[in-house]
Amino acid sequence: MDTYKLTAGIEVHCELKSKTKMFSDSLNEYHSAPNCNINAIDLAYPGVLPSVNMYGIELALKAALLLNCQIQKRMYFDRKNYFYPDLPKGYQITQARTPIGTDGYVEIMVNDQKKRIRIHDIHIEEDTCKNTHLDTCSLLDFNRSGVPLIEIVTEPDIKSDEEAMLYLEKLRELLLYADISDCKIEEGSMRCDVNVSVSKTDILGIRTETKNVGSIRNVGLVIESEKERQISLLENGETIREETRRYDEKTNQTILMRVKETGNDYRYFPEPDIPPVTLEDTYIEAVKKSLPVMPDERRELYKRAGIQNVNIEKIIQNKMISDYLMDLNHINLVIASNLLLGDVSFYLNKHSKSLWDVAMSKENFESLVTLLDTSKMSSKQVKEILPEILEKNTDVNEILKRDGMTQVTDKTFIKQIVDIVLKENPDSVLEYQSGKDRASKYLMGQVMKQSKGKVNPAIANEILIDTLNRL
Amino acid sequence: MNNLSEKDVKHVADLARIYIKEEEIPKYMVNLQSLLNEVDKIKDIKGYDDEMLITPVNHETIPRKDEMKETLTFQEVSYLAPKVSGNYIEVPVMIHE
Repeated sequence: MDTYKLTAGIEVHCELKSKTKMFSDSLNEYHSAPNCNINAIDLAYPGVLPSVNMYGIELALKAALLLNCQIQKRMYFDRKNYFYPDLPKGYQITQARTPIGTDGYVEIMVNDQKKRIRIHDIHIEEDTCKNTHLDTCSLLDFNRSGVPLIEIVTEPDIKSDEEAMLYLEKLRELLLYADISDCKIEEGSMRCDVNVSVSKTDILGIRTETKNVGSIRNVGLVIESEKERQISLLENGETIREETRRYDEKTNQTILMRVKETGNDYRYFPEPDIPPVTLEDTYIEAVKKSLPVMPDERRELYKRAGIQNVNIEKIIQNKMISDYLMDLNHINLVIASNLLLGDVSFYLNKHSKSLWDVAMSKENFESLVTLLDTSKMSSKQVKEILPEILEKNTDVNEILKRDGMTQVTDKTFIKQIVDIVLKENPDSVLEYQSGKDRASKYLMGQVMKQSKGKVNPAIANEILIDTLNRL
Repeated sequence: MNNLSEKDVKHVADLARIYIKEEEIPKYMVNLQSLLNEVDKIKDIKGYDDEMLITPVNHETIPRKDEMKETLTFQEVSYLAPKVSGNYIEVPVMIHE
């Protein structure tokens, strides 16, 4: 059984984050009531003509550039013909012959080694309407009809379920950070078709395609389950058929849908209603320059700033925090990220808000971080004043003056307080001298209490221990 | 084009959902073959391997901005629909998945 080699390729459909559809000017919006974002083009009324959404082209071009593709500078569209209620035109507009990007790659890390998953092509197409099947009828919602899609097709370079999941996570990260798609798998804006084959030789086996897999984890499960099914068939002397399957989560098995269609069945031919689209070099260059700093570069930047790996991954997973950090200037990014991942996130989650919803300005946040960094303020004090800064953007320096919160770093003053505390707590001093470390913690608490929390804890602790050791 | 067989004719009739009698098959074999021979003449056109003609006019797409314009109301949509159910358009089940 172990001698079989697995090969997989993945086709990912991603809905693009445009305001309107790819070939019509009706709204591209997921959360609307059924059948309210549609027009005559989406419903294929006789005589209507498609019009190309340039922003859809721009988003697809961004994706092609990020996936290191060769860009097709003169593109045509094609008709993919099939008869089904989700497609009133009887064909889907797609790019069969001149996909916007070809021959690209995505780099993933497998066991600390870089591996390239080659991209065969990335092409633009339109989504179909949403079809809900009941026992006796099907219900159609045309809101999704015409929503811009990109389909990203890999070469058969994926050799394990782990590689498949790493590839999809990387792809999702790229598309999210470039604002190309919101990649919400649960809302169907990112859907995966998984091609799997097994073979004992270097010649690829016959593949099956499992359609519309609903999560990155499930793509891994599909690959494992399909691998086992195919090996079991071959071991029993049976053959694999080229077919389309679907994944059943309850049984963790793939189920036959239909014997696979071929390109000929779709009768592709050029879309005569859309003249060619030419992408000038200057336009491609401008789109390239508009791409934001991508996650891998951000990881490097955070690493250089001294942020721990575990926090770097937390930041990358939260694009809002990552974008916020990228805009901050000349401050300690370790302290800034700790604040954002800790107290700020706690407040935002509690109030169901984002960093863009709160009143706090970046300048005020930078002042807060600097005060913490220069020990002019304690973490405890920050916790107390943070809600006011987030809600009202009250100047942090004003709050300090108003509430008399300025942290004391004057060592002579702190030493005086330490001396008072030690004089008032002789038993604890004896305990410390007899080796009980917790006594120093109690004494430190007394120092903070005596100073009403105003002394810098790090400096106070240093002076306390030094004084105790000299007694 | 190779000559059509009886099986081919039966298959085409089946696809077209046309019932033909056994004794009609030879007649359709001749008729269909004659049609296919005519279509085959396309291969004789010179320049068959040239770049595919996408559009006879030499102009580029004029793209539009990503701006929403008017959409249809559900009342307008449902007017042409065979049957509706709530805000959905209802159709027979095509394929039981």
